[in-house]
Amino acid sequence: MKFDNIIIGGGLSGLTCGIKLAEQGRKCAIVSSGQSAIHFFSGSFDLLNWVSGQVVENPLEGMGSLPDTHPYKRVGLENVACLAEEALLLLDRAGLDFSGQANQNHFVLTPMGTMKPTWLTLGDFTCFSQKETFPWKQAVILNFTGFVDFHTLFIKDGLAKFDVNVQIKNIAMEVFEAIRRNPSEMRSTNIAKKFDKGTVIEEFAQKVNELGEGAEVVILPAVFGLFNKSVAAELKAKINKPVLLIPVIPPSVPGIRSQILLRQRFQELGGTYLLGDNVEEGTFENNRLLDIKTKNHGDIKLKAEQFILTSGSFYSKGIVAAPNKIYDPIFGLDIDGDTDRAQWFDEKIFNDQPYMYYGVKTDKHFRALMSGEPIGNLYVAGSVLGGANALKEGSGAGICLLSSLHVAAQILK
Amino acid sequence: MMNKVKSNDYDVIIIGGGSTGTGTARDCAMRGLSVLLVERRDFATGATGRNHGLLHSGARYAVTDHESASECIKENKILRRIASHCVEENDGLFITLPEDDMAYQSKFIDACTSAGINTDVIDPDLARRMEPSVNPHLVGAVKVPDGSVDPFRLTMSNALDARIHGATLLTQHEVTGILREQDKVVGLELINHEIKEKVKYYGKIIVNAGGIWGQHIANLAEVNVNMFPAKGSLLIFGHRVNKMVINRCRKPADADILVPGDTICLVGTTSEHIPYDQIDNMFVTKDDVDVLIREGVKLAPSLAATRVLRAYAGVRPLVAADNDPSGRNISRGIVLLDHRERDGLSGFITITGGKLMTYRLMAELATDLICKKLLVDKQCETADKPLPGSEKDGFSMKKAMQKTYSGLSISQKSAQDRHGSLAHKIPKGDIYEDSMVCECEGVSVGEVKYAIKELNVNNLVDLRRRTRVGMGTCQGELCACRAAGLLCEAHGEPGKTKDDLADFLQERWKGICPIAWGDTVNEIQFISWIYEGVYGLKPHDN
Repeated sequence: MKFDNIIIGGGLSGLTCGIKLAEQGRKCAIVSSGQSAIHFFSGSFDLLNWVSGQVVENPLEGMGSLPDTHPYKRVGLENVACLAEEALLLLDRAGLDFSGQANQNHFVLTPMGTMKPTWLTLGDFTCFSQKETFPWKQAVILNFTGFVDFHTLFIKDGLAKFDVNVQIKNIAMEVFEAIRRNPSEMRSTNIAKKFDKGTVIEEFAQKVNELGEGAEVVILPAVFGLFNKSVAAELKAKINKPVLLIPVIPPSVPGIRSQILLRQRFQELGGTYLLGDNVEEGTFENNRLLDIKTKNHGDIKLKAEQFILTSGSFYSKGIVAAPNKIYDPIFGLDIDGDTDRAQWFDEKIFNDQPYMYYGVKTDKHFRALMSGEPIGNLYVAGSVLGGANALKEGSGAGICLLSSLHVAAQILK
Repeated sequence: MMNKVKSNDYDVIIIGGGSTGTGTARDCAMRGLSVLLVERRDFATGATGRNHGLLHSGARYAVTDHESASECIKENKILRRIASHCVEENDGLFITLPEDDMAYQSKFIDACTSAGINTDVIDPDLARRMEPSVNPHLVGAVKVPDGSVDPFRLTMSNALDARIHGATLLTQHEVTGILREQDKVVGLELINHEIKEKVKYYGKIIVNAGGIWGQHIANLAEVNVNMFPAKGSLLIFGHRVNKMVINRCRKPADADILVPGDTICLVGTTSEHIPYDQIDNMFVTKDDVDVLIREGVKLAPSLAATRVLRAYAGVRPLVAADNDPSGRNISRGIVLLDHRERDGLSGFITITGGKLMTYRLMAELATDLICKKLLVDKQCETADKPLPGSEKDGFSMKKAMQKTYSGLSISQKSAQDRHGSLAHKIPKGDIYEDSMVCECEGVSVGEVKYAIKELNVNNLVDLRRRTRVGMGTCQGELCACRAAGLLCEAHGEPGKTKDDLADFLQERWKGICPIAWGDTVNEIQFISWIYEGVYGLKPHDN
């Protein structure tokens, strides 16, 4: 099978890259081994939230103080504003309604009831312009009876610091009793599936309106709209006051929906999405990758002009740790990371962890290095790049989106 | 003598909430004394909870320490009776590998026989069939009555029974001073870490059951007990590869015991003398891990491909005798010190040395001495009366499997394992109580609530010791947060619970770091993203 471009990894980076290339008429395939980091999406995409522990107000400005090895610096600070704008538009074309600006972080309320800076926030969720104030004084938090993955007391505790008077109430409805009967089934996706059918929304909204009497804002778990993208909006329209959705324990319902929408966009553009397949190895000749072999396709090699590796960090198995090395499990590319495992971790979990920075080495054009030599047509983008502690900086999605768009632009040149 | 009157005066105050301390509290309370037990952290946080969980037959010590071996086999038989819900009757193999001296086997068998330990010499072929995970290259095998014991459950059952008999048990109470009147110890000054307040309690006899920390306690009373801190590291594997305990039939050395327990198995230990000032600062090094895996694989080769779940280290409370750098040649025998006889200080005794297996005997010896001093004439009954959870006639894991398990849900079965005949106290039947908190270990909302209400749970780490929340393959990925939600409901202190959640993750992290490669790195990166990234949890001041 022959494509113009093959992307290895079907998460946010792979899909972004694939959509951009397909929009420009490239015949693309994405090989995805399964779920991605979008499945524990918080509802927001971060660009740059913290530098040296300080909140960043303007991410574009904040990037100036990053080290030269950082993916943003490698993309080029002159390009990031433009790429950030492009990312927002690309998401919009996929039906994902995000809002936010690259030169001004806004805030969202976390499940701990605290304000966190971020760049783009999905329409389901609520953006705040300030972190010191909360616009309402009377709030009601509503949970589904028996749902243990939404922590109402933590939110209440956090809001108490904003002098908000919070009441917590439970909603019991016949329709959820069936899922509660199995002790491990009362989870976000199963609740969402009940709402997807549309019939529950009316009754639920009515209960919310009754229980929310006297409050200025209703706080609910973000479990609306798994396959049906209009649920959250429909529900909000039927509730007679502002609705604030808060993330729950994964899987993330808005995350899965976002992944599906991005994938659909890619497929509508003619892209081939090979789900549940794994790339096993590649054929290299004169520092070029000729084709790849996948588990499902066996001897039928997949050929392309350019390949893009967007296989993610450790949890996506883009890079793998063995007792005495870090490696890329597909091609054995050069890795930027210590081989001595005693150096991988700091003893405090909340400290800046060295392993978080590890990734595949590239040249300045984001081409992968193998034994020190760049592979001319194998590009690398997203979390597998390394060079940043995306968790500590709050830059995970930003690095994925911007590096993918940048790499796609290199290929399209 | 009557049970506790409402004041700060007791017949006996026991320092230390390990197996020895809780065992002594139980024994004293059963003999009608008014008892207070104080523990600076939580039950089983010292060496009690940081060992193999091996129900020794005594065979391991047979050649080198006859006395310990005979004590072990006696206590082994007693624990099977009184603590059946804490024990797995797995049996053990002592295997000889081609590199080992086969002559050791006959010496070993003779020594076992003289200590009263049954041995069966097994043909290597039969051994491979009895225990398919065993190193197939073995050239000899001896079967002994080893088993597995859950030290958390055992300690908690002793604590529960002490309480049932009227004892008061205070965790989070650290001794800061010993109150004296001339040559007599009369009480303790403590800090209550929960409310950060100083408090004083008075007792006729103060028992130092502080394990390795006993040296410090003794120093507070201005007497000397020199401990020999020997660090022992262990690894927990994510699967239970063996059904029998596997030991090397040779002179005890590093990492030559593999113990199955619950859903996992453990290999250990190393032995390394450490300075006394490091006993609160235990960590497992890369070298420890490498030795444990290298040697463990010789017992069961499949360990090489089995995920390591965590690493931990404990400090053996050995009493210093000579200058042996490994600490292995020091007797693990029981040391009972009457400081009146030894140092002219009355009202103060120290019970130390020994091992998890002999905790009950240690408690009995200490209590006998206390009763003698208090002129109480009552016999010890701890060897005959079953612990709470094991009272049902012949309750054992095997019988429970056959009889009571049919028709129970996963969490009910797990609860039965963990709490034995007390499992009926766990609220169930209601849809909410049955909801699953920890999917790896099958812990329900009801079980968490029961533990918080009945089993002295102050925080999530305590909860883990009572219920195994977060001990499974995901190491608290999602269940920690669910359990935190329930703890928050019960205690009504959300800010503290959030900090507690951060502490719990840190505590898990400590054991994961030394062995984090492969899927474990994926898991911890995921955990960090969930709690810090999505949830916005901070290390403190949440």
